[in-house]
Amino acid sequence: MLLVALRILFFRLLVAVPTLIAVSALVFVILRLLPADPAAMSLPPGATAEDLARLRAALGLDRSIPEQYLIWLGDLLSGDFGISIYFRRPVADLVSTALPNTLELVLSGLLLGVIVGVAGGLLMFRARGGRGEEALDVVSSAMMSIPEFLWALLLILAFGVAVPLLPFIGRMAPGMMTPPGVTGFLLLDSLIAGRLDVFFSLLLHLVLPAVALAIALAPLIMRVLRASLVEVAGDDFVTQARLRGLSEQRILFAHTLPNAALPTISLIGVQAGFMFGGTVLVEVIFGYPGLGNLIVDAVRNHDLPVIQLVALVYCVLVLAINAAVEVIYLLVNPRLRTH
Amino acid sequence: MSVLAVEGLTVSAKQAAVLRDLSFEVAPGKVVGLVGESGAGKSMIGRVLAGTLPPGFAVTAGSVRFQGADLVAADPRARRRALGDRLTFIPQEPLTALDPLMTVAAQFGEHLQRLGMPRSGRRGAMRAALAAVELDPARVLERYPFQLSGGMCQRVLIAMAFVSNPALVVADEPTTALDVSTQMRIIALIRTLQRDHATGLLFITHDLRLAAHVCDEIIVLYAGEAVEHGPAAAVMGEPRHPYAASLKASIPPVDGPLHRLVPLADTMPGIARFASLPGCRFAPRCPVRDATCAAAPPPAIAIAPRHTVRAAGACLSASGAAAAIPMPPAPPPGAGPPVLELRDAAKHYPARRNLIGLRHGPGTTAVAGASLTVRPGEFVGIVGESGSGKSTLARLVMGLEAPTAGRILVDGADVTVGDAAARSVRLGALQMVFQDPQSALNPRRSVWRLVTQAMEAARARLGTGTRAGPARPSRAGRRERAATLLAETGLPADLLDRFPAELSGGQKQRVNIARALCLAPRLLVADEIVSGLDVSVQAQILNLLHTLRDELGIGLLLISHDLGVVRYVCSRVVVMRHGEIVEEGPVEAVFRDPQHPYTRMLLASIPPDDATLPWPRESDVASAAAA
Repeated sequence: MLLVALRILFFRLLVAVPTLIAVSALVFVILRLLPADPAAMSLPPGATAEDLARLRAALGLDRSIPEQYLIWLGDLLSGDFGISIYFRRPVADLVSTALPNTLELVLSGLLLGVIVGVAGGLLMFRARGGRGEEALDVVSSAMMSIPEFLWALLLILAFGVAVPLLPFIGRMAPGMMTPPGVTGFLLLDSLIAGRLDVFFSLLLHLVLPAVALAIALAPLIMRVLRASLVEVAGDDFVTQARLRGLSEQRILFAHTLPNAALPTISLIGVQAGFMFGGTVLVEVIFGYPGLGNLIVDAVRNHDLPVIQLVALVYCVLVLAINAAVEVIYLLVNPRLRTH
Repeated sequence: MSVLAVEGLTVSAKQAAVLRDLSFEVAPGKVVGLVGESGAGKSMIGRVLAGTLPPGFAVTAGSVRFQGADLVAADPRARRRALGDRLTFIPQEPLTALDPLMTVAAQFGEHLQRLGMPRSGRRGAMRAALAAVELDPARVLERYPFQLSGGMCQRVLIAMAFVSNPALVVADEPTTALDVSTQMRIIALIRTLQRDHATGLLFITHDLRLAAHVCDEIIVLYAGEAVEHGPAAAVMGEPRHPYAASLKASIPPVDGPLHRLVPLADTMPGIARFASLPGCRFAPRCPVRDATCAAAPPPAIAIAPRHTVRAAGACLSASGAAAAIPMPPAPPPGAGPPVLELRDAAKHYPARRNLIGLRHGPGTTAVAGASLTVRPGEFVGIVGESGSGKSTLARLVMGLEAPTAGRILVDGADVTVGDAAARSVRLGALQMVFQDPQSALNPRRSVWRLVTQAMEAARARLGTGTRAGPARPSRAGRRERAATLLAETGLPADLLDRFPAELSGGQKQRVNIARALCLAPRLLVADEIVSGLDVSVQAQILNLLHTLRDELGIGLLLISHDLGVVRYVCSRVVVMRHGEIVEEGPVEAVFRDPQHPYTRMLLASIPPDDATLPWPRESDVASAAAA
């Protein structure tokens, strides 16, 4: 079983390579076609045309676009991700600081969304045909119809301003020191360093942004899971389980839910990809130092090397999530494992 | 003391009695059969026993005593304790009755755990139980249901049903989804286990002939009422109730002389009509009804010890008397070249590609070099079990699949390569009738537009010079053609503007056939067109096919798993197995004196009409197992 999973993963990676090359080329070319000159922006106001030409030559901007792309790709493969034009720091440093933060945010949002979604789906299924179902339906519709950035603002107003329970700016309390970077993941690093105060501060700062993301995901899971539960509950094997005298509890958790979970797992895979897109606005609203804030800054300043790499990182993340979901799907569905 | 005693049971939904005044007993070691067409209420009893009546249904009168305890009054927990333990069920669809995500060992183990068996003993118990149903535990335990055949799944379910040594087993159409030879083996197995354990068995089926061989006693149900109840041999041998008699007369026999089937007109009333039938519910279709029938339900009259018929006096004297009309011999096939000719046609499916596009394995041969001719006006039947390639053969004939070898000729023209010319030749000569009218008829189209659907496409074939139709058929022209088609297929003209949802199953299949007749094809290709229908409706459709031959001179290639149907309808039969034609010949010759062992085995798998003959015979079961 593990072997099959590894094989799938391997083939997914194989397919991912051309995808990544295509995405990187696309991003690269589009950025070069924009009427913005990063060289002109990084020079002081009094610079001459010769200064500009010199800088353009130094940055390689005077060469043809395919040539520039190949140079960039070559550097990328040799581990050189370039220097940020705006921050004047290696792009690799910027991304490696921001990426773990975004991953922590997305994973928390996913976890929260899946837990609430599955619980809600089960509740809706249990309450089907009754008043409870209508109430849950209204709640999930409301959750779904408000976009996550608006939820972010509402959450700030509710729990940050009106009832100030939770922090809503930044990654941790001001004045706290970042724990020494072992993994890059601050939550882990603070635990490794034994700084529980930092850990809890990090955790509290994660709550509102993660909830904002989860609110978009949970109602979708709820609805899809409810629908599949209702469908599976009418299947012959569920009837047969009942005729064997199994308890309703046992039937639900041992038979109905595992079978109904399959479409939900596919859905989570698709939605997880979208969630990375959702982090951009949420991070900006919460001043959360992740990839979203990084790319917004980079776009604002025409910081081409940063935009290129962050775009590529997003692409890798989405592909990785898809591969992971596919493997999970495979592990829970024996029909796909055997051929 | 009986295991199950049902007394005056009435189940009602919305004022109407879905089951009315049903009484019977199941003694230990005895088999009671509940026989009826769909909607007769035969599955309702299983639901009463299991406590799983649909919402809105309730037991409104009578009692159900299981091992002396009242099941209707029992609280759900007590009832659940009996389920799967003392009272077990064998389902209709073995392939879907097992959880697809769990191995056999996992679900069997769960069942043993529910029965209170300690973990240590479960493995051994499973092995013993699987061996008792003639499965190899080593091969089955770690498999998932989708890796097993329907017969194997049913054996697993039977093993689970008998492992607790139950007092009563309810088997609801346990072999309907299976091939005939598998059916015979499963029946033999259930009978053996049931006899060895002295288990009471409630056998629910639509198949009177099968019930006659499996059961000690038979109850024939019609619209929620037991119309006849008696010893199996007596009910099958000489049914006394007009409905039971007509049910028997609707079954196309596999042996003995062939008579014209005399199906009842119309169909059984649905629940919605019960309230308007206060008297005998069969009266509207009864050939011997009189004015008194509709007034009050007829009483159950004992006509012999343990044999009752719910009838007024008039029905009893009249039934069984319908004169048998011998089948006229089939007209000789028309002159001229064959409408259809297959020369060594084969279809091979390559193995599936893996993730990097490489094929591994040899693939499957669905049809291996089949040669076949159908002459004008000839009715040819293709029989075989699932996987024999008979449906693939039909798809090759229709050009829905391209053969990988061999040639296909229609009206002498080579249509092997499915180009536009071949398509036009095919469409002019052949039409297909699909198996399931429910999904074959677009629910958004009215009947007249459905049956003349082919006229819309006729325009496209104008230039090819085969069968020129009007350039753009007018609405009036189409409606006129539709009216003719409905008349030809025995449908009333007022159905023209109805939609499929407003039609009964039999009417839908007639519309389905009418549609295929629209462009006056010379050969109909029909794949299992009666397998989803009740026997009385099936008999109507089979007679319709004969009428079409007599009136239109049309030919038929009938694909069916039912040998009786093929014998009744066709003059020539082709027996397929594993993609090969193993035997071919005139129907009567093949049925009377089958040459190939497989044909012999198939014929032996069908319960004979004479209920006193032993079936299944041990030697046949053994040869089916070996095949």
